[in-house]
Amino acid sequence: MAAFEYRQAQEIRNAFARHGVRYLFIGKAGAILLGFPDTTQDADVFVERTAANGQALVSALREIGFGLTDVQAAEIARGKDFVQLKNGPFDLDLIFAPDGIESFEDAWRRRVEVEGFPVCHIDDIIASKAATNRVKDRESLPRLRAFRDYWLRRG
Amino acid sequence: MDDTSRPRPGDRADRAASDEWLADFEAAARRPLETRMRYAFIHTYKPGLDDAAYRSFDTTADYRAWCEAHLPDWLGYGRV
Repeated sequence: MAAFEYRQAQEIRNAFARHGVRYLFIGKAGAILLGFPDTTQDADVFVERTAANGQALVSALREIGFGLTDVQAAEIARGKDFVQLKNGPFDLDLIFAPDGIESFEDAWRRRVEVEGFPVCHIDDIIASKAATNRVKDRESLPRLRAFRDYWLRRG
Repeated sequence: MDDTSRPRPGDRADRAASDEWLADFEAAARRPLETRMRYAFIHTYKPGLDDAAYRSFDTTADYRAWCEAHLPDWLGYGRV
C-alpha cells in the first residue's frame, strides 16, 4: 500500500460530497490539512452517526473502490465506533466516536474548510489526542499545541 | 490541558526548540497543500495493525484495548 496522497484526499472529498456524507478530517491528518508540518501514516475521518449518513458513506466508499462485504457495509452503516479499512485504494480509519469530543454537531460547528476539505478545529484535534493519551499522542502534543498558538495568531 | 509540556519562555533550550518549530510552521505555510501532503504522509509496515484488510470495534475503548493487547509497544499505541 502506497502512502496517502493529495489526490486520494480529493477522491474522499469529491465522493463524499456527491453522496452527501457529513464528515471531518481529524487526527494528525486533520492537523496536516490545517498546515501542521509533521508525518503520519493514517487518514482519519470523523463521521456523523446517523442512518442516512451511514448509508451514504457506504455508497461513497464503494464508489472510491473499497471492497466492502455486505456484513462490513452493514457495520459501517450502523456506525460502529471505530472501523479500520485496508481493503481499498488507500488506508482509511472511520471514527464515529472519537475520544475527547462531545458530539459530531459540536465539532461540525467549529470546523475549518481547507480547499473544500472539512477539517476539525485544531482545538478538537488536540482535545481528542489529549483524551486518547497514547504514547505517540503525548509525544506530539507539545508541538501540536505550539502550532495551535501559531495557527490562531495567523488567523 | 497539560501546559507543563509547552516550551517555557526563559529556558534557552526550550526557546530554541520553540524557535525551530515556528520556523517549521512558517515554512509549511508557504507550501501548497499538495506539497505539504506529499511530505507528510508516509507508509511503513506496522506489524499487527496492517495484517488485516478490515477491522471494526463496537466502542473506541475496545479499539484502544485491542491496540494495547496486540501491537508492539514501540508503535506507540499504548496509553500512558
